[in-house]
Amino acid sequence: MAGNGDETAVSARGLCKSFGRLRALNDLSVDIPRGVTYCLLGPNGSGKTTFIRAIAGLLRLDGGDLRVLGEPVARVKEIYSRIGYMTQHRALYPDLTLQENMEFFAGLYGIERSESERRITRLLEMVNLQEHRSRLAGDLSGGMYQRLSLACTLIHEPELLLLDEPTVGIDPMLRQTFWEYFDLLTRQGKTVLITTHLMDEAEKCKIVGYMRSGKMAAVGSPEEIKRLAGLRPCLELWLKEPEKDAALLRAEGYEIQICKGVVQLRLESHEQIKRVLAKVNPLDMRLKEPTLEEAFLRLSEAS
Amino acid sequence: MRLLELSRVSVVALRVVRQLKRDRRTIGLITFAPILLMILFGYALSGEMSGVSLGLVDYGGHAILKSHLEGTKDFNILYLGSESDAEKLVSEGRLNGAVILRPGEVRVLLDATSLQISNAIQAAIEAGASRERASLQEGPENIVVMRFIFGYDLEMMDTVGPAVLGLVVFFFTFVIAAISFLRERTLGTLEKFMVSPLSRVEMVSGYVLGFSLFTLLQSTTTLLVVTLGFGVPMRGNPLTALAIVLLLGAGALVLGSFFSNFARSEFQVVQFIPLIIVPQIVLCGVWWPLQSIPEFIRPISYILPLTYASDALRAVMLKGASITDILYPDLLALSVFFLFFFIAATLMLRREVA
Repeated sequence: MAGNGDETAVSARGLCKSFGRLRALNDLSVDIPRGVTYCLLGPNGSGKTTFIRAIAGLLRLDGGDLRVLGEPVARVKEIYSRIGYMTQHRALYPDLTLQENMEFFAGLYGIERSESERRITRLLEMVNLQEHRSRLAGDLSGGMYQRLSLACTLIHEPELLLLDEPTVGIDPMLRQTFWEYFDLLTRQGKTVLITTHLMDEAEKCKIVGYMRSGKMAAVGSPEEIKRLAGLRPCLELWLKEPEKDAALLRAEGYEIQICKGVVQLRLESHEQIKRVLAKVNPLDMRLKEPTLEEAFLRLSEAS
Repeated sequence: MRLLELSRVSVVALRVVRQLKRDRRTIGLITFAPILLMILFGYALSGEMSGVSLGLVDYGGHAILKSHLEGTKDFNILYLGSESDAEKLVSEGRLNGAVILRPGEVRVLLDATSLQISNAIQAAIEAGASRERASLQEGPENIVVMRFIFGYDLEMMDTVGPAVLGLVVFFFTFVIAAISFLRERTLGTLEKFMVSPLSRVEMVSGYVLGFSLFTLLQSTTTLLVVTLGFGVPMRGNPLTALAIVLLLGAGALVLGSFFSNFARSEFQVVQFIPLIIVPQIVLCGVWWPLQSIPEFIRPISYILPLTYASDALRAVMLKGASITDILYPDLLALSVFFLFFFIAATLMLRREVA
C-alpha cells in the first residue's frame, strides 16, 4: 500500500482525532485511488463525516499522516481550487437566485464571466433546473435545493469531489442522473468520494470503504466486501416434492432451508449449480446474490 | 496564494449587496428609523426640568435675585465659597450651572450641552433680575454676564442630531452584520468558504465593502433629514461627516461579526443589544456629558466607538472642524477599534469550524 502521490487521490496513515472522549478517527489508514467513485459507508458516528472534513482541511488531526492530491493536508489550502466540497448543510443563499448563487461560487474561484456563464448553463441543465434560473433558491423544493448545491460544488470542475450524503432527498430518477454524471467525471480522471447510508448507492461505487468506530473495517469492491463477509449466493428452487428433495440434497452435504415451500440452498461456488441440477429437477429456479446490506450487517455483528 | 485578492473581496461584496437589496424591509428600516429616532430623541426629551443643581457664590448684593433663585422649586442650590470652585464643579458636570453674585455684576456659568437645563437657569435669572430692577429703581446698573462652559447657543436637535446619526448606523450595522455572519455559519456556507480559495481576510473585507454601500445610503439620507429637515447646521464638509460614519459602520460590522460567534440563533443576537448598544447610548456623552458620568464608569465611555464618532460628528457639523482637527483622538480611536475587531473577527472564523 504505497501512498504514491500520482495515483492516490487521498492517502491516510494512522489518522487520529478525538472530540473530548469520543475517538472519531481511531488509527484510520486508507488509500483512495484517483479516477474512481469511492464510497464511505458505515453506521452513524463511525467517523465518515469526520474523515471527509479532515480531507477538506477543516480539522486539526491529533495524529497520523494525510495526503490529499499528493499534498500534505497542512498545505491543502493551496489546492482548494482543485477540491469540491458539498457539506450536509446545503450551503446556498436562499435569498439569491440560482444564477446569483452560482455566479458567486464561480467568482470565488476566479472563473471568468463568459466561462462561468457557459458552465452555469451546462450544470443547471445537468441538474435539470435551467428553467428556474432566475428563481430564488429559497423557493426551491428540498430536492431542487440539493441539486443546485451539487451544481455549485461542480462549478470549478474540481479533481477531487467530497460529497457528504449528496443524494439525500432526491428522487430515484434524478439519483440515476447523478450517478451517470459521477461516472462521467471518473472517466475524466476525477475522483468522487461519497458518504452514504444507502446500500444500493454504495453498490454502484467502484470501491466501498466500510467504516466502524473511526477506522476502516473493510475495503474493496462491493463483490469483495460480500465475499469478505462470508456471504454466498443463494439458489432458490421450486420443487414438486420439496421435503423429499431437500432431504436428498442435505444428504449430499448442502446447507438447506425451506421457506414457504421454496428450497433455499447456499452455494459455495457457482459451479455447484450443475451438480445440484443433476440431483433434482426443479419447476423453476432463481439465483439470489447477497446484497451489500447483508454483508455489512454480517460484518457489524462480527466486530 | 495571496492572502488578499480584490476580485474575491468584490465577489463577496457584490453578493452582500444583492442580498440586502432584496431585503426591502431592512432597507426601509435603515432609512426611516433614523427619522423616527430623531423625532423621539430631539423633541420628546426636551420636556420640563426638575432637580437642576445650581451653584451660588454670594459676594454681596442682589438679595432679591438670590431669594428668587432660592424660591424656584426646580433648583437645588449649592452654596459655594469662590467662583473657581463653581467653575470646577460645572466643568466636571456636577453642577448644571452656577451664579456668581457681585455688587453690580451677575455672572452665570452654564453647561449648555443640556439645553433644557441651561434654558431653565437663564430664564430664572432673567426673571429674578427683572424683579430686582423693578424694586430698585435707583442704584447701580446690573450687568448680567452669561458664560457657557460647554456648547454654544444651540438647540436640542443640534446637539443630538450628529449622535443619532452615529447611533443608528452603529445599531443597524451591528445587528444586520451579526445576523449575516450567523447565517453563514448555520447555512453551512462558512464551511464551504473554508474549502475555497477565499481567505478569511477577504471574506470580512468583502462584508465591510458591501455593507459600506448601505452605510453610505443610510448616513446620506439621515444627514439630509438632520440638516434640511431639522435645520441642524453643517458647518464642516459633509464628506468628512460621511467618512466618520463609514469608519464607525465598519467598526460596527466587525464587532457584529465577532459577536456572532457567541450566538446560536438570531434571537440570541437580539440579546446582545442591551449589552452592546445600550451602554453606547448611555455613555457616549450626548445625553449626559462625559463629565457628568461617574469617574469609575468613564473608562468604559472611552473604549466605546460611539463616544468618538459623536464627538467627531459634532465637531464637524457644529464647529466646522476639518478632518485634521478630528484625527486625534477621534479618528484614531475609531480606526483602532475597527482594526482590533477586524483581526478578532478574522481569527474567530477559524478553519476548524467543528
